[in-house]
Amino acid sequence: MLESLMSLAYGFNIALQPQNLLYCFIGVTMGTLVGVLPGIGPTATIALLLPATFNLNPISAIIMLSGICYGAMYGGSTTSILLNIPGEASSVVTCLDGYQMARKGRAGPALGISAFGSFIAGTVSIFGLILLAPTLADFALKFGPPEYFALMVMGLTVVAYLARKSMAKALMMAVVGIVLGCVGLDPITATPRFTFGMLDLADGIGIAPVVMGLFGIAEVLENLGVLTKAEVFAGKIKGLFPDREDWRRAMGPIARGSLLGFFLGLLPGVGAIVPQFLSYALEKKLSRHPERFGSGEIEGVAAPEACNNAAVGGTFIPLLSLGIPSNAMTAILLGALMIYGLTPGPLLIKNSPDLFWGVIASMYIGNLMLLILNLPLIPMWVSVLKIPYSYLSCFIILFCLIGAYSLNNSTTDIYIAVIFSLVGLLMKKFEFEGAPLVLAFVLGPLLETALRRSLILSDGSFLIFLQRPISAAFILFSVFVLVAPLFSKLRLGRGLSEED
Amino acid sequence: MTIISRVALFWVALGILVCYGATRLGLGSVTEPGSGFIFFWSGLILVILSLMVLAEGLRSTEEIVHETRDMNWVKIALVLLSLVLYAFFLERLGFVLTTFVLLCFLLGWIERTNWTRSLGIATAAALGSFAIFELWLKIRLPKGIFGF
Repeated sequence: MLESLMSLAYGFNIALQPQNLLYCFIGVTMGTLVGVLPGIGPTATIALLLPATFNLNPISAIIMLSGICYGAMYGGSTTSILLNIPGEASSVVTCLDGYQMARKGRAGPALGISAFGSFIAGTVSIFGLILLAPTLADFALKFGPPEYFALMVMGLTVVAYLARKSMAKALMMAVVGIVLGCVGLDPITATPRFTFGMLDLADGIGIAPVVMGLFGIAEVLENLGVLTKAEVFAGKIKGLFPDREDWRRAMGPIARGSLLGFFLGLLPGVGAIVPQFLSYALEKKLSRHPERFGSGEIEGVAAPEACNNAAVGGTFIPLLSLGIPSNAMTAILLGALMIYGLTPGPLLIKNSPDLFWGVIASMYIGNLMLLILNLPLIPMWVSVLKIPYSYLSCFIILFCLIGAYSLNNSTTDIYIAVIFSLVGLLMKKFEFEGAPLVLAFVLGPLLETALRRSLILSDGSFLIFLQRPISAAFILFSVFVLVAPLFSKLRLGRGLSEED
Repeated sequence: MTIISRVALFWVALGILVCYGATRLGLGSVTEPGSGFIFFWSGLILVILSLMVLAEGLRSTEEIVHETRDMNWVKIALVLLSLVLYAFFLERLGFVLTTFVLLCFLLGWIERTNWTRSLGIATAAALGSFAIFELWLKIRLPKGIFGF
């Protein structure tokens, strides 16, 4: 414990350097901005800014990119409350009661409680991160290839299990992601695989162009020619500070939301979207007046907002201590770490303590910045929404093109981004989800190496995954997740889509 | 046959192609998996899953297609075409000029902004993004035959 506090102090030392403070500030501001803007999410933004970070040192870069992750959670609630439009998928639930509160003239307390709730949850999850990540990393040092393989399989099945529509389709996308991720030279024999003779594909398909296409350009294409004029909440927002009664009602939900979000975020594959639905449902169950939910209850705003923020901290744990991303957003961060030449995995904390502790300390500072800066700036964020979407969409396309091109200075990557934008559009049309694809895309090469090494280790016996207790536990859990829906009609993902 | 069944058929075909490609790469043996090993199994799982989706699609008659709003396919095709042309000309004509033309097209033609405003925004955005990325962030953008 004392050791952790010492390390944290060291982290603050790094995070408080002027340059890192600046990048933290840029990160959270960009995060809030894209959180406010519907149509572009944190996942695409991290990918967009990736090329801009190549000339930075990795610590500043990761500080900025993680700032986008949690900044977006703050921004997303603003539009949910004021406009009934979730800026992010992870703020959908906030619309239910947040917008009703705004209509009743209580937009101020709604915004206030979601900012304070997010801050408290952020703090809780950072402390969880400090306590758990190093321990988990120590534990993970015992992991061999079979454990890693089993863990990744579990992550992918959980993503599919949480799919909103069809689990089979989500699994299909995961498999397609693995195939795409493994394109390029064989890591062991260096045979070109599915490169169709193209030199540019020898290094594999880049994560940046794929994400630009799937999440950036595809989104613009879907909205093409559709005039979306946001109805901006007209009334003046006053009284951002929730009163004593508000606090009394919101404290419990914030505490429960923080814990729920954090622990669910820990699980590979969960991410920030599902926990907030669950926390809303939990509060509704616990409430003495469940029928009032949906008509502007402050509990319905406080809990999910705390929850999605805590979940972000949770998702950083498997990323930083195991090197396993748990959703599309952290998958790109993992890609970024690898581009900077760092090896994600259990040794990251030991080998680059400055990165780990610096980033954690910056998350604390970033949360504070968001709390102090965001509340007074809400009118400004609202006015950002008045920019016509037609201008915005052109800029999103432009940044996507630059982002796709500049990683390798290759126009092939632009073609790849364009192809994936069409793929992404068709996926939306036919209700295939993008998240399992991106996650599997990043995990694909790791998964393959782990599988091949395991089989070499076991002399060809697949039983190795069941003989070792940790990997057996992961595999059994995956099987359970895959089989359970066959026996019960009740599936979490389906339940969630009904809540919409 | 519902649309989703046809989509599933496409994935079945793709899965088979992946499996075929994988066998050509060499599957290796279980004791020493080859280059095509992961592709083969992924392809096979893809085929099985697609057949499940196909079966489900054949059983139900209702269309499961996301119909939130009508997509304007002509415009989408035009934008995609313009992006392909952008990639083609980018290194030949340079970043600033190509970007200017692309933005004029997107703003003026696709989004129907009035032309003077389109020209203004396109100029500002092309020069502005060049300044930010090339000059400030030191990312090398293509210069093309005119040198900018």
